[in-house]
Amino acid sequence: MENRPLEYDYTIAKMFMLTTIVLGIVGMLIGVILAFQLAFPGLNLILGDSLAEYTNFSRLRPLHTDAVIFGFTLSGVFATWYYVGQRVLKVSMAESKLLMTLGKLHFWLYIVVVAAAVFSLFAGVTTSKEYAEFEWPIDVGVVVVWVLFGMSMFGLIGIRREKSLYISVWYYIATFLGIAMLYLFNNMEIPTMFATSPAGESGIGAWYHSVSMYAGTNDALVQWWYGHNAVAFGFTVPIVGMIYYFLPKESGQAIYSYKLSLLSFWGLMFVYLWAGGHHLLYSTVPDWVQTMASIFSIVLILPSWGSAINMLLTMKGEWQQVASSPLIKFMILASTFYMFSTLEGPIQAIKSVNAIAHFTDWIVGHVHDGVLGWVGFMIMASLYHMAPRVFKREIYSKAIMTAQFWIQTLGVVLYFTSMWIAGITQGMMWRAHDEFGNLAYSFIDTVTVLHPYYAIRGIGGLLYLVGFLMFAYNIYKTMSSRPIEERELQSASPMGA
Amino acid sequence: MNKLYIGGAIFIALMVVLTYLSVGTSKGGFNGDIVNMLAIAGAIALVTITVFVVIKYVRQMQQDNATGELANESWDGIGEYKNSLPTGWAVMFLLTMVWGMWYWTIGYPVNAYSQIGEYNEDTAVHNAKFEVKYKDITGDRLVEMGESVFLAECKVCHGINADGIDGKAANLNHRLDAASVKHVIENGSNYQLLGSEMPMPDRNGLFNNNTGALITDAEIEVVSHFVANGMSGEGADIFIGACSACHGEDGKGMEYVAPNLASFTPALVVNVLNHGKKGIIGVMPKFDRLNDKQKEAVGAYITDISK
Amino acid sequence: MFHWLEKHPFFFAVGVFIAIAFAGLVEILPNFAHSSRPVIGTAPYSTLELAGRHVYIKNSCNACHSQLVRPFKSETDRYGHYSLSGEYAYDRPFLWGSKRTGPDLMRVGNYRTTDWHENHMKDPKSVVPGSIMPAYTWLFTNSADIDTTYAEQLTVAKHFSVPYNQDVPMKDGSVKNVKMAQSLAEAHEIALEEAKLVTADMKDQDVKDAVNRGEIPEIVALIAYLNSLK
Ligand code: HEC
Ligand code: HEC
Ligand code: HEC
Ligand code: HEM
Ligand code: HEM
Ligand SMILES: [Ca+2]
Ligand SMILES: [Ca+2]
Ligand SMILES: [Cu+2]
Repeated sequence: MENRPLEYDYTIAKMFMLTTIVLGIVGMLIGVILAFQLAFPGLNLILGDSLAEYTNFSRLRPLHTDAVIFGFTLSGVFATWYYVGQRVLKVSMAESKLLMTLGKLHFWLYIVVVAAAVFSLFAGVTTSKEYAEFEWPIDVGVVVVWVLFGMSMFGLIGIRREKSLYISVWYYIATFLGIAMLYLFNNMEIPTMFATSPAGESGIGAWYHSVSMYAGTNDALVQWWYGHNAVAFGFTVPIVGMIYYFLPKESGQAIYSYKLSLLSFWGLMFVYLWAGGHHLLYSTVPDWVQTMASIFSIVLILPSWGSAINMLLTMKGEWQQVASSPLIKFMILASTFYMFSTLEGPIQAIKSVNAIAHFTDWIVGHVHDGVLGWVGFMIMASLYHMAPRVFKREIYSKAIMTAQFWIQTLGVVLYFTSMWIAGITQGMMWRAHDEFGNLAYSFIDTVTVLHPYYAIRGIGGLLYLVGFLMFAYNIYKTMSSRPIEERELQSASPMGA
Repeated sequence: MNKLYIGGAIFIALMVVLTYLSVGTSKGGFNGDIVNMLAIAGAIALVTITVFVVIKYVRQMQQDNATGELANESWDGIGEYKNSLPTGWAVMFLLTMVWGMWYWTIGYPVNAYSQIGEYNEDTAVHNAKFEVKYKDITGDRLVEMGESVFLAECKVCHGINADGIDGKAANLNHRLDAASVKHVIENGSNYQLLGSEMPMPDRNGLFNNNTGALITDAEIEVVSHFVANGMSGEGADIFIGACSACHGEDGKGMEYVAPNLASFTPALVVNVLNHGKKGIIGVMPKFDRLNDKQKEAVGAYITDISK
Repeated sequence: MFHWLEKHPFFFAVGVFIAIAFAGLVEILPNFAHSSRPVIGTAPYSTLELAGRHVYIKNSCNACHSQLVRPFKSETDRYGHYSLSGEYAYDRPFLWGSKRTGPDLMRVGNYRTTDWHENHMKDPKSVVPGSIMPAYTWLFTNSADIDTTYAEQLTVAKHFSVPYNQDVPMKDGSVKNVKMAQSLAEAHEIALEEAKLVTADMKDQDVKDAVNRGEIPEIVALIAYLNSLK
């Protein structure tokens, strides 16, 4: 092997960094709007009566979830893959014309699909299934993008110099396989345009409309087998892959324990899929499926915590780094929130607890512990680490980064505390009977009490968004106005003012 | 560094207190409901465990040193220790797996448990408890109970003051409004207000005995206002002539013949709840979900507020 | 063994796939046929009801409303009988939802009415002070998509043997025969007949006029759907 360091090609990583930031802003802005719409319903008319169809809560909600999942998070996954992959496999994208072409195609088709998805959700074209709202033409696009991602990933692996796969790569491979399997099965649908009427008419109605292959309870089972694991393979697996690279790299520390990495990974793979039924507790799916899901959810705590603990232990004896580097702070707090949400989930998966928690804001709180505190923080930290290396410039401002860290932490805390209280309060009010044995509250009574918590959540979300805008600004300034770094950077990222 | 522990404890205490303030002070509160208790216990366990476990590792960052044997491999400069598993974690993993298998095969009564069975038991307990209680609920207490039913079930249509929200449903503060009476006279009525099939004829079956002819438009107008005014004002003669045969001279109705038009009676309300009705204002749904005592109570309540 | 896998990506991927694919087979497959059998009293959606279901989905009402009554005393008191699997036999997709920002609607047809929905959908606050539900004013002017609805009926009748134009048993021993049209034009006629029954109880003159002209505003279809939820 030659001694000269490899020249990695970050062209595609950069493109996906851009979409991570842009779609992050869009998705979170919509999230903030949603949050305030629940506190102040007048905001459903934020652009006036005539546009209310497109700006009301229910039309915007799927846009939020899909923008942050398939926009922000997936872009982050792609961006980090096109960065991390080359480095831990010790091979440059530039070495293969084919891979570069695939990568670019991957990016541009992704953009096309995102645009189509945004357009269709605004128009109300949706199949209603959470996180799988897209109609079949977009599904086809998603599959093509995914196949391109797979080809470019396995292509790179195929020409690697580093024989054995680094931990992060395990997680990227699992992400690819998991989503591929889940997405295909949950989107089995028959386009209605193939129908022919007894009178011989065909091609009737909207060409993009389809009907699910599964009905009722079966549909629910497949959907939440998907939904739970879309969380697993979208919000957990690839993000764990990121922290396994970026934390040790940024801190210069070696991973605490290979064995722990190994057991956590295979444990997670095996256990995760069984737990989907915890979204269907007390529904009409069979009791034994529900119980199995509850059991596996509890077992799932350990493989999840294994990775987080491995990361915390990697920082053993390195407190001064945590104290001085906002970049490392982000990752340590991300591990903490990961632990929090992977304990919260199993607790909510206990049948009796779920009886209160299901359908309430406590679930929404759980979601955002994970996505804001863990996913959001890790993606931002990853991009902060990558920026000085792909742009060959030091990070514009450490002060902005530090301020951003505290603002966003406060935002997350406000979000989850308010939703925790709101959820438990509402869940208990729904169950309450009065001294006469009547329901103690009509439904609306359980809505109006939530107003202050909805307002607090809105403020928390706004703080998080402000922090994200600071992040975007910091990255922008890094690209445009810092001096060029001459040397190849090793661990700690250089930061300006 | 004790600061961390104190901070953690304060945070946990704060969450618990806030939750208690929000839940504990609401009607029903914790209610001795085991599900409520478990949810709160779970919530407290969640913050407590996370906060203290994370603090444990933070202390290691502060005090310990990274040691161990490095593996030969390194990826992009990232090394890997060959440390063994953290004991606590390994033990817990094993324990949860063993527990899971035990629960699945032995602990979980595969054949004995069903969530519907659990529901049936809970419902039976609830009903038995209140059946006993219901015997003593009469008079003012019954009205009070009725109010509670009304606020949970009826206010979405009739409004919190039972005023019908600008004519969107019947105003239950008084018996009838003129438009409804007029509509019934013109179209008849057949909603089992007496509990069984007993229709009122439409205008083509209503003779004014004073004139010996079918009731006229002008008479309908006048008598409608008479009824809506609580059986007073102009029109008493028409009412006597055309309506009293069935509804009684004072409009208080006759058992098995026609309902009371002067005031609400619990029985009338119960009949409306059992059968629903459709009038000029809209459709009143029937309410199968309420039990007999609840219907009686809300009947007493409406009778009371419309006095 | 794991070290070996880490050097052989193909087998590594196969290993991961087996680990994750296993659970789905065990949990989902065994009950597949059983869960989808309709209970007595469950009939397919009529043309207008199905069009209304599309309106419901288009506007993501399921973002705030569940359609699943869990077996708790407090829920059966509030919403009626707990849900049974067979009641969802014709629901493609299922609409259980995962968040109750608003109440469950599984059986809303039992205790809310056409005129109430009309007021409520136009301006929720006017009937329920403090409501945070958006007003859905555009449903009063947009037209329901009967063509697509008909295409869906044809599709489910063909591929999933949904019993249109067949007698299905009802709880009271009677039978119900839900009609599906033979042609697109007939589908519009059927929907229009149903729409007239709904508008008879409505107040909005523009909507009534539209139906008299032969158009079907989305609100009419939506209300037909809500009324069918029992
Ligand atoms: C032949 C007997 C008969 C006569 C005459 C008659 N009613 Fe009735 N009326 C009934 C019956 C029976 C009902 C209950 C119908 C039902 O169950 O829906 C009733 C119901 C009503 C109601 C509806 C009450 C409610 O709460 O909805 C009104 C109003 C009413 N009558 C007014 C009148 C007036 C005014 C007249 C005279 C112009 C009149 N009725 C004459 C038999 C009669
Ligand atoms: C979906 C809306 C709705 C709900 C819920 C509702 N009502 Fe009504 N109710 C109406 C409407 C509309 C009318 C007027 C019918 C008419 O045009 O006469 C009415 C009429 C009535 C009447 C008949 C008045 C008369 O003069 O005959 C009574 C009594 C009544 N409601 C009681 C109740 C009670 C008690 C409850 C709750 C347990 C309740 N309603 C819930 C809509 C509703
Ligand atoms: C932002 C959340 C939200 C959205 C979106 C929403 N709703 Fe609601 N909905 C509510 C709330 C809160 C209530 C309870 C207060 C009230 O009755 O207005 C409610 C009540 C209802 C009720 C009355 C049910 C009952 O038992 O009282 C119906 C019916 C309803 N909504 C239908 C719909 C339909 C249809 C849509 C979509 C076109 C929709 N909702 C969209 C929040 C929402
Ligand atoms: C051990 C791991 C976890 C378990 C056992 C778990 C369990 C649960 C449970 C029980 C629910 C509520 C279902 C309901 O009642 O509606 C839920 C919802 C959810 N969780 Fe988790 N959770 C875990 C980790 C995570 C993580 C790390 C994230 C994100 C980063 C996450 C994201 C979500 C989301 C998005 C939902 C909402 C799904 C919906 O739309 O209803 N979960 N989870
Ligand atoms: C700026 C910060 C954000 C705010 C204010 C916000 C706000 C919201 C709101 C109001 C909802 C709807 C809750 C409801 O229906 O009651 C929601 C749902 C959701 N958000 Fe966010 N959000 C933010 C950021 C994010 C991010 C960054 C992600 C993912 C990476 C995310 C993922 C989700 C998911 C998965 C749901 C659906 C939850 C469920 O169905 O249970 N959000 N968000
Ligand atoms: Ca789809
Ligand atoms: Ca959800
Ligand atoms: Cu889940």
